[in-house]
Amino acid sequence: MCDFQEPTPENLTTRRDFLRTTVLGGALSWTVPSFLASTFDTLQASTTTATQFATGKDAPILVVMQLAGGNDGLNTIVPYTNDDYYKARPQLAHKREDLLPLNDELAVPKHFSAFKDLYDNGQVSILNGVGYPNPNRSHFRSTEIWHTASDAERFESHGWLGRYFDNACEGSDPAVGIALTKEAPQAFSAAGASGISLSRPEKYGFEPTGRGEERQMQRSAYEQLNLDEDDQAGATVAEVGIPHNPHVDPLDFLERTAMDAQMSSDQIKRVAKETKNEVKYPGSNLAKQLALVTRLIAGGMPTRVYYVSQGGYDTHQNQSWTHQRNITQLAEAMQAFLSDLKAMGLEKQVMVLTFSEFGRRVKQNGTAGTDHGAAAPLFLFGQNISPGLLGAYPSLAEKDLDKGDLKFHTDFRSVYATLLQNWMQLSPAQTQQILKGNFDTLPIGVRAA
Amino acid sequence: MLEHVQNSDWNQEKAAHLLNRAGFGATQEEIERFAAMRPREAVDTIVDFEKIPDPTTHPEWAVLDPNQHNEYKAMRLFSGPEKEKQRRRMRRERNRQTNDLRHWWLERMASGPRPLQEKMTLFWHGHFATSIQKVKSPYLMYKQNEIFRQKGTGKWLDLLTAVSKDPAMLIWLDGARSNRKKPNENFAREVMELFTLGEGNYSEDDIREAARAFTGWSLARNRQEFTYRERMQDPGAKRFFGRAGKFKGEDILEILVRQDQASKFITGKLWRFFVSESLPPRLQDELARRFAGHRQVFAPWLKDVFLSREFYAPEVMRRQIKSPVQWLTSTVRSLDRSLPPTVVSQQMLRQLGQFLFEPPNVKGWDGGTAWINTNHLLSRYNFAKDLVEGRYGRGRGKNEYVMTKLTKGEPKGRDAMMERLMQSRLSRMEPVDVSKLLPEIQETPPDQILSQLENRFLSMPLKPSRRETLAQYLQQHPQLNENSLRRAIRLLMCTPEYQLT
Repeated sequence: MCDFQEPTPENLTTRRDFLRTTVLGGALSWTVPSFLASTFDTLQASTTTATQFATGKDAPILVVMQLAGGNDGLNTIVPYTNDDYYKARPQLAHKREDLLPLNDELAVPKHFSAFKDLYDNGQVSILNGVGYPNPNRSHFRSTEIWHTASDAERFESHGWLGRYFDNACEGSDPAVGIALTKEAPQAFSAAGASGISLSRPEKYGFEPTGRGEERQMQRSAYEQLNLDEDDQAGATVAEVGIPHNPHVDPLDFLERTAMDAQMSSDQIKRVAKETKNEVKYPGSNLAKQLALVTRLIAGGMPTRVYYVSQGGYDTHQNQSWTHQRNITQLAEAMQAFLSDLKAMGLEKQVMVLTFSEFGRRVKQNGTAGTDHGAAAPLFLFGQNISPGLLGAYPSLAEKDLDKGDLKFHTDFRSVYATLLQNWMQLSPAQTQQILKGNFDTLPIGVRAA
Repeated sequence: MLEHVQNSDWNQEKAAHLLNRAGFGATQEEIERFAAMRPREAVDTIVDFEKIPDPTTHPEWAVLDPNQHNEYKAMRLFSGPEKEKQRRRMRRERNRQTNDLRHWWLERMASGPRPLQEKMTLFWHGHFATSIQKVKSPYLMYKQNEIFRQKGTGKWLDLLTAVSKDPAMLIWLDGARSNRKKPNENFAREVMELFTLGEGNYSEDDIREAARAFTGWSLARNRQEFTYRERMQDPGAKRFFGRAGKFKGEDILEILVRQDQASKFITGKLWRFFVSESLPPRLQDELARRFAGHRQVFAPWLKDVFLSREFYAPEVMRRQIKSPVQWLTSTVRSLDRSLPPTVVSQQMLRQLGQFLFEPPNVKGWDGGTAWINTNHLLSRYNFAKDLVEGRYGRGRGKNEYVMTKLTKGEPKGRDAMMERLMQSRLSRMEPVDVSKLLPEIQETPPDQILSQLENRFLSMPLKPSRRETLAQYLQQHPQLNENSLRRAIRLLMCTPEYQLT
């Protein structure tokens, strides 16, 4: 039950019905797992309180997409009328005839035309000049800064989305966040329940060995072994699972987690299998991840946050082709994703945020590539935002650069704050607690569905 | 408090507990050997590990390479694709060495002669959590690891000083970049917050002044070792913890460990690592008092702990969640098998959340219940399958460090490479030899087999309902062959109980 203001009674009925029919239906009704038990308690209580359980079915959903390696913002959103751009990049600059103008200052490359279509349809906002003070140019550290929403000089052990789970989703379903990656992103790291990561749904679960009946025997033995019989409704993993909480009995904690694992794995596998995409997706890895996200959303997962990732942006040499391939894949995957959501009537419910650990150096390097930089544009895809170009493009003039890199004017944590407050519907106090500081929300038209 | 456990109370159960917590599990023979000793003798044997000969040699590449600095310098002469090629070659070599280092250390933990030495090394690695991702030198990571190994049970100030001057630490917390004009506060902050006192036990002024005192501590890049640079040192007077003087780094460290809070902080953390998450204030005071009494030397303090009744309390025994490293090494030990091939063990530790030499952040691993979420638990269950039943690797991949040629459209990067390696021949593992673990099994009734399994793998009885489930599984296989026995062992590892030690 992620906190969510202004409950509406009719939604509540839908949710309860949903839980009864989809989660407790079928073969899974032998016992009520801890998280659901507490969910029901909450449902009873929520008619009188300001918090309620919000399933993915009717609450705003955030998809966070990492462009790993440091996307070259300059060759993505191109300042095509700026001489400094062409001077700094004799080989790498996109020629004017290879560009599709967005206005008389900025353009996108022709191979990014799928993105241009989304732009023309008002489905994307481009936020220019996003970064943070004292930018760090190490992949490792800067990724950590974006994931944990920390200052460049401070360390936070939990991720910003993990702190969202901790602060706003206490006692929730273990699938409160799903990362479509092999390992959990640091952004999900939390004191309590920290979401799920899976690269393939069929792999998220107990794998029996052997053939035929033997597999069934093992599976049912596994199910029995991980059944939490003395489960007392009320406490959930999220509540008991605080590290260094001496009052937690480890065996009890393990039994509850085992139960949750079994439940969520059955649920995810079933949803992924039974729900079908309405459109055909391209073959890229990113597109596959997004196709699965759509199925999970459409199948009614209670997940509020999804995390996907696309790699290959660390383009130190011969950047042109690699970068072209990356952003083409990105745009085409997004196009399929958004039209799939639309076909399912879910387009108003989903917002996508892209980010990259840094932009790249304004000047190209000696190997037809670019080195690690600082500020860059990021994208928000969705319906409930002011579409178009937002924020000034940072100056490329030599005197305005920070060690050869673009200067930021918008702190990425203001973007996070805007999404938490205006999209995920948290209070300013909760937002402040999650981001460990007060960051202004941005007037970019983000509003809940 | 901390009274000794009685000789008459000493038994196999307690000996096993000692071997689990002070090390990485034990075979039945080792448990019997330790159970036959008196507790004092058993604890001395474990803690005075210097007496046990250790023939392990260091990894062959882990020596100072005098040419490395020149090689880096020479890089500057290259340009264009040639430079990139060189850079990639060096990166590949670095990865190879790091993987080798991980395997070398895991081997020491899984089968080395001095378990406590490695357990302490693991503790210090989590405490002084330094990552290869920033240090970028397997040699320096190895050197730091050796400091933990050589000084890990010695005097606190000696260890702290050695680590503070350690090249990997100087890089990790930016000490090497600090100078009198621009003192870097990163190390000064963490040495108080994370290493010696804990948050809230110092002021921001203390950090600023300490940062000034640490200036001059630097790195001789060509020798890859600590050096003191007089002209980088801030010679002025500093005020630190109410004292004033022309302090240098050594003085700061000495003042820090002398604080009462310092003894409390480090013994509390060790207690949580070795014994329990629960630490009542009175016991915490007693632990600190003992440590001060031992002049802040860890070895005698550890003996106090391992001999104490509190260490063997029912709410302590079998109530610790195994760390991924503990889970892997103790499973390997109890199965009497070798470690999985490097590609597999790396993948396991990465996915289970304890990738050695890459702690998640400066605070290290949280431990306890943080080791377990639904993902980690399911991964443990499925990796148990590999460890017991073996795995078939097929397909490409001759050399595990050389990336196989990609076909078009295949994803690149470390994750993708790991994925491919996991499917290659290099990940092949033999199934466990059950006849060695459970001889003459044909004659044994299922119930007795179960008791043997419980004894060997859990050192605690399963919950009756779970025991019943496993008994049923065995009964479903009247002709018990090696395969079904292995599957039963794997299922036993797919229980909440097996995650505890």
